[in-house]
Amino acid sequence: MTTVPTLAEQASPPTAAGIELRSVVKRYGTQTALRGLDLEIRDGEFFCLLGPSGCGKTTTLNLIGGFVGPTEGEIWIRGRRIDTLPPHKRPVNTVFQSYALFPHMTVFENVRFGLKMDHVPRDESVGRVRESLRLVGLEEFGERMPSQLSGGQQQRVAVARALVKRPAVLLLDEPLGALDLKLRQRLQIELTQIHRDVGTTFVYVTHDQEEAMSMADRIAVMNDGRIEHLGSPEEVYRRPASRFVADFIGDSNFFDATVTGDVAELTDGSRVGCAGGRSGPSTLMVRPEAITLATGPGSIAGRVLQTSFLGSYVRVAVETPAAEAPVVAALRELANVPAVGDEVSLSWSPGDGIVLEPPG
Amino acid sequence: MSAQADTAAARRSGRRRGARIGSGLASYAGFVPAIVLLGLCFLVPLGIIVCYSFWETIDYEVVHHWTFSNYTYFFSVSAYVSTMWATLWVAVVATARYVPQRLRVPLLVLVIVPFWTSYLLRVYSWLTILGDQGVLNRFLQWAGITNHPLGVFLYDRPAVILVLVYLYFPFGALTLYSSIDRFDWNQLRAAMDLGASPAQAIFRILVPQIKPGIITAIIFVFIPILGEYLTPQIVGGTGGVMIGNLIVNFFQEAEYTRGAAVSLLIAGFIVVLLLIFRKSLSAKEAYGA
Repeated sequence: MTTVPTLAEQASPPTAAGIELRSVVKRYGTQTALRGLDLEIRDGEFFCLLGPSGCGKTTTLNLIGGFVGPTEGEIWIRGRRIDTLPPHKRPVNTVFQSYALFPHMTVFENVRFGLKMDHVPRDESVGRVRESLRLVGLEEFGERMPSQLSGGQQQRVAVARALVKRPAVLLLDEPLGALDLKLRQRLQIELTQIHRDVGTTFVYVTHDQEEAMSMADRIAVMNDGRIEHLGSPEEVYRRPASRFVADFIGDSNFFDATVTGDVAELTDGSRVGCAGGRSGPSTLMVRPEAITLATGPGSIAGRVLQTSFLGSYVRVAVETPAAEAPVVAALRELANVPAVGDEVSLSWSPGDGIVLEPPG
Repeated sequence: MSAQADTAAARRSGRRRGARIGSGLASYAGFVPAIVLLGLCFLVPLGIIVCYSFWETIDYEVVHHWTFSNYTYFFSVSAYVSTMWATLWVAVVATARYVPQRLRVPLLVLVIVPFWTSYLLRVYSWLTILGDQGVLNRFLQWAGITNHPLGVFLYDRPAVILVLVYLYFPFGALTLYSSIDRFDWNQLRAAMDLGASPAQAIFRILVPQIKPGIITAIIFVFIPILGEYLTPQIVGGTGGVMIGNLIVNFFQEAEYTRGAAVSLLIAGFIVVLLLIFRKSLSAKEAYGA
């Protein structure tokens, strides 16, 4: 009888961590890029480092790849300390944003380069290059020059070139950044498929929250050299650890509130249910799709400022004394959309009101 | 009737063909001045030199007597052969001094500025640096390192090499700069990431891609240095003689036929060099760099 692993089992830490960063500090002169980072990435996981530019995500990737050295701390891969090794001695390969394909070599020679450097016998290397190109769907393109390929194809060659070395960890540095939206979405699906096929640990750096959400097993949201929240895409979205995380991932509405138990009192005096977790002056965060609008007066009163039809939902902006900025609600049902100027009342189920530390 | 039409058509097409040949010749007419100029100023003198190199000089008179002796003479006198090797050696060393580096705009300006001064002036200026009363000797005496001027800086091969490096550096640097400037340095990171050592990354990734630049730099630097005459004349003394000076010496001593032979040897060497480079230059078109 096969058993489906329970949620508790899935969440339990694996025996050997794929990558481990132990209180890693990185300073560039007087600038501190990383402030004591502790991070464990599981073997075989698709891990995303997500954050705005300058948050330290690329520095973290370069530290694992060996292009920069840590000022303090240690980096381990599969129980082996690697922060003292030069890049070419680490069991890590990188896919660069600029592809960095070698323009004077064919696609086949590009992919074979890493094996040549390792002195893999010709017979074996040819087979592995073919296999790697098949994995990214470019078997037929071996004899082409990189300049004869489209951007998406070039990026897939870069992936094949890195994977042919069978690294313990594949680092991807915003690999889809230079591509247009449609192609990016297609390659996101392909990358997750490739990840499933090879089972290698992927560490993916991006500033695009949708990209991180759609591919990652777990996401580390970084800000100012620290990890603000580490969790599955769902956790990070539903229960963000800070106002920054809530703001960075998805749309969110913020209310100043005073929390007592599971009741929050807003600035207009209305009292609403919330998930609790802390008490006193707080920020209450509610996602647009968690908000229901009812006609007529209710606990939180407001007036509709704007409605926008966005295909799969209608976005309604509501002005209310309870919040500084207009509150945004996303309505799935087109039948109940209020008109601009309508008096409405806002509500949500208590579990959707996330209590966060107030700013400042 | 149809036969008549055929011949008419044939006549017409014949006229057209004639017209085409006429206009073909006419389109070459524009080249005439160039061909005349090249013929008079290059091919004819070259022909004379070739003839001279196979004639004999007897009592300062050129005798129209066919012989290989000028060439065999050159190779039989070891001093001359060693001069040729010395010339090659100087040219190679002077060429090899260019470290491919990413030069920034201010550096580029520094490289270009000397071009505003005359070539001769730039060579002479080295006399005031390296000479007995030069900056270097005065500094050494001032610093108490020596109490009399040192003659080792000037009038020998090192001085020639130094000045040639200085004179030809801009040519090498500028041609290399343009090809290195286009290089994506992430490729070196990628190569090292894939297991290449820094040296392997440079020789397998950087060098093949800037090869056209390297070859152009060699053509711009090596070949003019082969023909250098003034620099060794001014700063070289007796130890720094290059083949250009040798040729001048032959002609000044009215040894026209021997001078012609050496000139053709060096010209032939350069032609062979260019042929080799042309082959490797055309290889770059394969990947459309």
